[in-house]
Amino acid sequence: MLGKRSVALLLALVFITSMVVAGCGGAKSTSGPSNVLVFAQGSDPRGLDPAYVDDGESAKIMTQIFEGLVRYKPGSTELQPSLATEWSLSADNKEWTFKLRKDVKFHDGTPFNAQAVKFSIERQLPPNRKDDMPYAEFTFDGITKVEVIDEYTVKIVLEKPSAPFLANMAMCLAAPIVSPEAVKKSGDKFIENPVGTGPYKFVKWDKGQQIELAAFEGYWGTKPQMAKVVYKFTKENSVRASDLMTGSTDIMDGVDTNDIKTLEAKGMTIVKSPGMNINYMGFYTYKKPFDNLKLRKAISMAINRQYLVDYLYQGNAELPNSILPSFIPGYSKDVKPYDYNVEEAKKLLAEAGFANGFEFTAITYSNPRPYNPVNGEKLAAAIQADLAKIGVKMNIKSYPWKEYKKVLENGEGDAYFYGWIGDNGDADNFLMLLETANIKGSLNSSKYSNAKLDQLLDEGRTNLDLAKRAVIYGEAQKLISEEAPWVLISHSIDMAAHRPNVKGFQLHPVGVHWLDVVSKEK
Amino acid sequence: MITYIIRRIFLLIPVLFGVSLATFVVMHLFTTDPAEIILGQHATVERAAALREEMGLNKPIYIQFGDYLSGALQGDLGKSVITKSSISEELIKRFPATVELAIAAICIAMVLGVTLGTISAVKQNSIFDYGTMVAALMGVSMPIFWLGLMMIIIFSVTLGWLPSSGRIGIGMQPDNITGLYILDSLLTGNMESLRDAFEHLIMPAMALGSYSTAIIARMTRATMLETIRQDYIRTARAKGLSETVVIIKHGLRNALIPVVTVIGLQVGSLLGGAVLTETVFSWPGIGSYVVEGVMASDYPRVQGAVLLIGTIFVMVNLMVDVLYSYLDPRIKHM
Repeated sequence: MLGKRSVALLLALVFITSMVVAGCGGAKSTSGPSNVLVFAQGSDPRGLDPAYVDDGESAKIMTQIFEGLVRYKPGSTELQPSLATEWSLSADNKEWTFKLRKDVKFHDGTPFNAQAVKFSIERQLPPNRKDDMPYAEFTFDGITKVEVIDEYTVKIVLEKPSAPFLANMAMCLAAPIVSPEAVKKSGDKFIENPVGTGPYKFVKWDKGQQIELAAFEGYWGTKPQMAKVVYKFTKENSVRASDLMTGSTDIMDGVDTNDIKTLEAKGMTIVKSPGMNINYMGFYTYKKPFDNLKLRKAISMAINRQYLVDYLYQGNAELPNSILPSFIPGYSKDVKPYDYNVEEAKKLLAEAGFANGFEFTAITYSNPRPYNPVNGEKLAAAIQADLAKIGVKMNIKSYPWKEYKKVLENGEGDAYFYGWIGDNGDADNFLMLLETANIKGSLNSSKYSNAKLDQLLDEGRTNLDLAKRAVIYGEAQKLISEEAPWVLISHSIDMAAHRPNVKGFQLHPVGVHWLDVVSKEK
Repeated sequence: MITYIIRRIFLLIPVLFGVSLATFVVMHLFTTDPAEIILGQHATVERAAALREEMGLNKPIYIQFGDYLSGALQGDLGKSVITKSSISEELIKRFPATVELAIAAICIAMVLGVTLGTISAVKQNSIFDYGTMVAALMGVSMPIFWLGLMMIIIFSVTLGWLPSSGRIGIGMQPDNITGLYILDSLLTGNMESLRDAFEHLIMPAMALGSYSTAIIARMTRATMLETIRQDYIRTARAKGLSETVVIIKHGLRNALIPVVTVIGLQVGSLLGGAVLTETVFSWPGIGSYVVEGVMASDYPRVQGAVLLIGTIFVMVNLMVDVLYSYLDPRIKHM
């Protein structure tokens, strides 16, 4: 018996000694060889099949593996060629013809051609479409036919003209072109074994740990700078920041505002990008009391939005002048929202027939959202204090996100807090939130209806000239601003950080990044 | 003994049924609808309803539970509703990570706890005794989450001694034999991986084992104090045996029986603690798998993982009971 105990004690001693030895083994500050780039994000992607996922974590990785027919320009949602070199539109604006790049191969060696485009789209059209393809309906809305004209020409026929369709083809979700052979071969498992045409190819996925990508030798464009890219999954923001500072990772996203100073003090570079979203307070414009424009104006002017951006969001948000984020083509900087002015607000309140103030109920959500990281409850409380100054009492009813959408659809309360995350970077994708056609469902929760706006949106959709669309959308933004169905609170800002030796890293406003242009100095 | 073990194994059935039922009900009643999560902001009422129909989520809850149970009985824990991967496969892949972490934590807890507890008892009321008991009190009171973050700040960020997260460095993974990196590194003779895996393991294991170390140290001290006052210890001393033999052979062996019970129970708290530890240190085990599952309302994932954890818990308790009779032949299981 004593013998066994001695062995146990000896083993324990070895264990502790080796821990101590390892502990004194010197600084841990290597993220691997200089040709490996390590990117830390909060969690595993849901999957890597563009047809089946809609989360940001998946989009970031898929962007390295897949490409679409067109892609966004750096820093904006303007479009440029990618797998398609040029495109044209029929006279009735319904048939899009894409000329495809000829020197492209998928990572599995199969050729990229018109058949592959047809396959990638048709797998997401009825009758092939599955209920759990989150973006299929949005992205390929109105496609009636995908025709192979020749090996490198494909025609997509739409039910009705749609200018935003081209922007859909640049999306990182649903739109990327997949290898038909690989989909057929892997079946259900394609979501874990993606094959695209992008600069990096998928190597392996250690669930809960990391995904490894390697530079694709046969890439048609400029060869990627790094031999290998590793996406590492670390849930806690602060631990991700520690990893970056110790050098075990090169780039991290999801930087906490509180960590910025520490990161900067350690020589890390913080990268910011405006987010493609809008955080707002909406009025139910179809019923009393907010069917009254003067009242909406009064409330809008009583809210100190600059203060909310500076203090509630600690400067990590932009003060919007328009419903559109500034990088979206068609954004108008000339739109003027109703600025903070307590005296004017009181005057308007009196003119609206509420000289002695009034009471209303606003519903809000208790969870943080990408466009509102502090959560709807805190935002509502801050606004409640502002409104009290003009004698308006705002009662707040808060719901967990799970119930909130349902409550909103039922039109509970008089006003509500909500937000929107853009999908394709097209102006229409934001402005349609106030279209009469979207009153059904929860998109246009204000149930705002304006024939003039509907007409402008229709014109924007059928007009493919960028300059003309900008004029149309400028007018729409002005109209919305004057009508004040929403109080625009903020556009969030996305942040990432990288080590000083990382060069060329940029965040794109749609929430992804392209690592083929990123390099690492020794 | 055999009858006893078989009877205990049969008792697993109601326990696991209860655990499954509780998890099932909690997940279905208190989390977001997975259909809404999958469809994101484009989830209209109709689309969400269609998807729920496809996933079988609109059936009455008892039918869903029945379906789940019949699958589970055949070893099929279903597929994740969010990632579509097989739950059983995922659990098999992640299980070794949790086992490795729990073994390391329990080793640390046993060795440190028993050693410190014994010395404290032998040197009762000394500075060492007071120091150890204060440290043990801190160990019991300190939240693992906080302790983990503090360790990262001290040992990774400030001192730069240990990696702050993950299970192994990039490209250091040993060939997969058992899934336990330390063991696999030893078996394949890959010393670089061994060292790297060790460095990654130390902090999470220390953090996870802190509570158990403290409990075991306190328990050992208490039982040891009682034991060394017994007549047979005095007799042993009177026989002229050396103090080490008296303490270790005569004292510790008898003092250990209640300690083994505590160690057995600690496995439960280790599995619970693993949820937090794995989250702080991004340890790719069952604990972090459950947390991600809860966050994503991934019903099958959480149910599968909880079922596995429940089974382990019950089995370990059984092992502890069996171990009693080995340590103390006076205890017999009928």
